[in-house]
Amino acid sequence: MNKQTLFELLQQQGITRRGFMKYCTALTSLMALPPSMIPIVANALESARRPSVIWLSFQECTGCTESLTRSHSPTVEGLIFDHISLDYHHTLQAASGDAAEHAREQAMKDNYGKYLVVVDGSIPLGDPGYSTIAGISNLDMLNETVAGAAAVIAVGTCSAYGGLPMADPNPTGAVSVTSLIKDKPVINVPGCPPIPTVITGVLAHYLTFGSIPELDELGRPKVFYGQSIHDRCYRRPFYDKGLFAETFDDEGAKKGWCLYRLGCKGPMTYNACATLKWNQQTSWPVESGHGCLGCSEPNFWDAGSFYKALSIPDGDYAKAAGYAVATGVAVGAAAGFVNRKTKSTAVSQHTKVTVDDFELNKDKK
Amino acid sequence: MSSEALADIKIQVEAPEYDSGNLHSILSEIKFALEQLLEQKKTHSIDLRAMPWSPGEEDKLEQYLGRGEISVELNALGKSTFYESRFSGIWIVTHYNQEDEIIGKLIEITTMPEMIFSQYEDIKESLENIQIQP
Repeated sequence: MNKQTLFELLQQQGITRRGFMKYCTALTSLMALPPSMIPIVANALESARRPSVIWLSFQECTGCTESLTRSHSPTVEGLIFDHISLDYHHTLQAASGDAAEHAREQAMKDNYGKYLVVVDGSIPLGDPGYSTIAGISNLDMLNETVAGAAAVIAVGTCSAYGGLPMADPNPTGAVSVTSLIKDKPVINVPGCPPIPTVITGVLAHYLTFGSIPELDELGRPKVFYGQSIHDRCYRRPFYDKGLFAETFDDEGAKKGWCLYRLGCKGPMTYNACATLKWNQQTSWPVESGHGCLGCSEPNFWDAGSFYKALSIPDGDYAKAAGYAVATGVAVGAAAGFVNRKTKSTAVSQHTKVTVDDFELNKDKK
Repeated sequence: MSSEALADIKIQVEAPEYDSGNLHSILSEIKFALEQLLEQKKTHSIDLRAMPWSPGEEDKLEQYLGRGEISVELNALGKSTFYESRFSGIWIVTHYNQEDEIIGKLIEITTMPEMIFSQYEDIKESLENIQIQP
């Protein structure tokens, strides 16, 4: 099933060298590598074999799969047929019931020690009955499937950090994949949902290089999660000048000023939205006029209002902004630190969002 | 049911008048690469999809670079277009997939993008397939 290399597969389809090089160019861009890497990617792909992938969906809303199916570079068909051998994904596969479970067992047997396990959704430990597949608890299926895996990719915030199911009061006793799997490499690809091209980019990296990409301290690929939204935001120059939208319809909002005071979580959120964008690079939340919710960070559901501004020291924005001009990134980093602390307090107190949070002028004196 | 395409919907996008600094940095990079091409014959590529563009900024760059004397269209796994800007040595390369969606966009600073040349792997195959008496 996976004996052919990707190059052989493309050759069989009558694709020329130019076509192959074009493919490598798109793939290099997808993996967020510089164009100087194209020859290296081409070289690696000539001998790369498609990995078998088993995709497990636990306590999730299928948003991550919905996101994946909107990948256009490569398309989901291209991904399934060319990049990987997707042997089990109960939403996308044609087989059902026993035949579906048999496909998973067969893929595990045929590729033992070499297949990838992708997980979306969290795992209920409190009461396993909340989520089962073919009568098997999520925990049992995870342990059984991961046993022969080369690596695990936790796709989406639920799988990477627990996400919405784990939000207070966590009725199912939901936990993340990372908290359960300790003896295999786990790549976290958080986001609610993650950017489609980030999901495919991580898979493409494994296909191309046969290894997992470099990860940050939260297990996220640095190439996509290495910089904060704030640092890559095109509205950043307004932050540096102290120009903020105060409401969603004021002059500042119309002029595209910084959304910091409207609760943008960009300074403490690490993701690639500002460059990769969404919907075939059409736009992204900040470009559409709404602050970042911080969906790729742990516990974002419990971190208080989406519309409450992160605090920067003493709320003196003009002063802080002046300081920002002088020291650039350092202030963003300091604000990030202050707000991580505020967030952990919010999480522990489980600050509820009330209608007052929407009355944006209330907090400002 | 209306079959109106997205492009037919009359919406007006007003790009706010401000400078994110992206154009300045990318043009500096292009200029430096052009110097390197001239002095050392060193080529350079910039992935335009890796830039944190503000609305309208990418169009502004393309407008500034303009179109020069030559353009080439390639059909392999969907369309690709190559054209030289009004500045010699600066090429704009766009790759589309079979559904006509953009899957790669680059600026190449070179005398000719590599992909336009006939590829030796394909020439070898031509040699095997060509028949003297068709």
